[in-house]
Amino acid sequence: MELTLAILVICIKLALIAGVLLLLPVPLTWLERKVAGHMQQRLGPMRVGWHGLLQPIADGIKLLTKEDTIPAGADRLLFKIAPIVALVPSFVVFITIPFGENVTVLGHEITLAVSNLNIGLLFILAVIGLEVFGVILAGWASNSKYALLGGLRTCAQMISYEIPMGFAVIGVIMLAQSMNLAEIVEAQSEVWFIVYQPIGFLVFLIAGLAECQRVPFDLAEAEGDLGAGYHTEYSGMRFSLFMMNEYIIMVLISVLCVLLFFGGWHGILLPLPPLVWFLLKVALVIYLFMWFRFTFPRYRYDQLMTIGWKVLLPLSLANILITGLLL
Amino acid sequence: MKRTAASPPKMGFRDWIGWMFFVDLLHGLRLTLSYLFSPSITLQYPDREKWIPYPRFRGHHYLRSDSDGTTRCVACELCARICPCHCITVVPHTAADGERRPQVFDIDLARCLFCGLCEDACPVEAIALGQNYEFSQYTPAALRADLDQLASMPGKVDRGGYVVAARLEAGTRISPTGSTEEGRHWWQQIRGMRVKRDE
Ligand code: SF4
Ligand code: SF4
Repeated sequence: MELTLAILVICIKLALIAGVLLLLPVPLTWLERKVAGHMQQRLGPMRVGWHGLLQPIADGIKLLTKEDTIPAGADRLLFKIAPIVALVPSFVVFITIPFGENVTVLGHEITLAVSNLNIGLLFILAVIGLEVFGVILAGWASNSKYALLGGLRTCAQMISYEIPMGFAVIGVIMLAQSMNLAEIVEAQSEVWFIVYQPIGFLVFLIAGLAECQRVPFDLAEAEGDLGAGYHTEYSGMRFSLFMMNEYIIMVLISVLCVLLFFGGWHGILLPLPPLVWFLLKVALVIYLFMWFRFTFPRYRYDQLMTIGWKVLLPLSLANILITGLLL
Repeated sequence: MKRTAASPPKMGFRDWIGWMFFVDLLHGLRLTLSYLFSPSITLQYPDREKWIPYPRFRGHHYLRSDSDGTTRCVACELCARICPCHCITVVPHTAADGERRPQVFDIDLARCLFCGLCEDACPVEAIALGQNYEFSQYTPAALRADLDQLASMPGKVDRGGYVVAARLEAGTRISPTGSTEEGRHWWQQIRGMRVKRDE
């Protein structure tokens, strides 16, 4: 009985998370287009639904019913599995993300995470690294110069941001004495870690921007010089999987920022429910990413490498050193 | 000292501090944020608004009529002559009142380049280019405007150069709903372009 209940609870949580993640790109694309529009003194989508609210649904229907073409010279198998390889890790990491403190329903204590891993943070960093393989496979399998260049850039980008990113969170782990995300948030109930770890946050934010391949580090799909980068050759449903993946990673990075540096669901000033506080902060970070996108120009490939190796890496190491000394 | 690419400007102490704290990037962010909250210049055509062109706008041709309703055109064919695209066909005939009038007056708008030379050439100011710019068609053949069509086209606007509220109706021209005088000068909403309209 206990076991069935536990499995049932896990299944419900999984279904919830998968459902929310699958639907998230709908409001996010709308928001992104609106932010883009208004920053450029346009209105953005206006014609489908109230202020274009239904536009993403119309776009989704269009993408679903579009012809799914595979280039003649492509490696058909890799081409088909690449979007899945990219998408699966981004879904998997969400099982360790806690969305709030434990709640008690009908006498049962339920954690607001599918699995409250002790090494949650490590798990996330490890699994999210796999996502890059999907992008590289897509670039390789398309048999197109733009896609291949996009894939190559992703490779180079990955090795230059993953290391600083890993180091940036070490300061947080040292402060919280735990890799469990729920415990990290618990450790911030008094003071958010952004206060102790401003440099760590900065490094994490920059590396996170590179991780979700958004401006100013969207080299892999630089529309200006690579067509659409690694997904140039993709169309229809497979393309939308890549788009979805991008949005989910953006949400993931925002969620991580909030969990690691902004006190998770701990609110200040206003006594709002913890989940509302959490979502509010995540939404703010997502907005920050969109704001960046329509403000900054794209960094060059070698500049990104320089930033990764010559700036972020020493900074994150210094951050660890200082944290260690001060503890 | 002349600055070249090889010798970038010397950075002072303050510049270094600014560089360390991403001051340039913050300036950029502040600028885009201020744009985010500035009014949009989008013209919601055809759903809600319509642009009324300036009087000098060269749109669909129209033929002026006298007060008694007869066309002014005397079928002299000067417009057909001067037209660089040879898109005007005029066939003269003698009307019931003995005047020389066009029997056929066709303009092939698919070929017209809207130069307005026909308007300049006309000795009786019969033909002119009006305000209508909504005459898309599915076939080039449908772009041939005949005598009746030309006579019924709207003429030039008195003032113009603004945006009025409009309503989209399928199959017709977008009809303005607002009065012309309360029109919106959309370009005045562009940042830094708050110029008084000269009367
Ligand atoms: S506007 Fe120019 S091209 Fe058009 S009919 Fe008149 S003369 Fe010909
Ligand atoms: S429109 Fe004017 S120029 Fe053309 S035939 Fe008539 S009178 Fe002559």
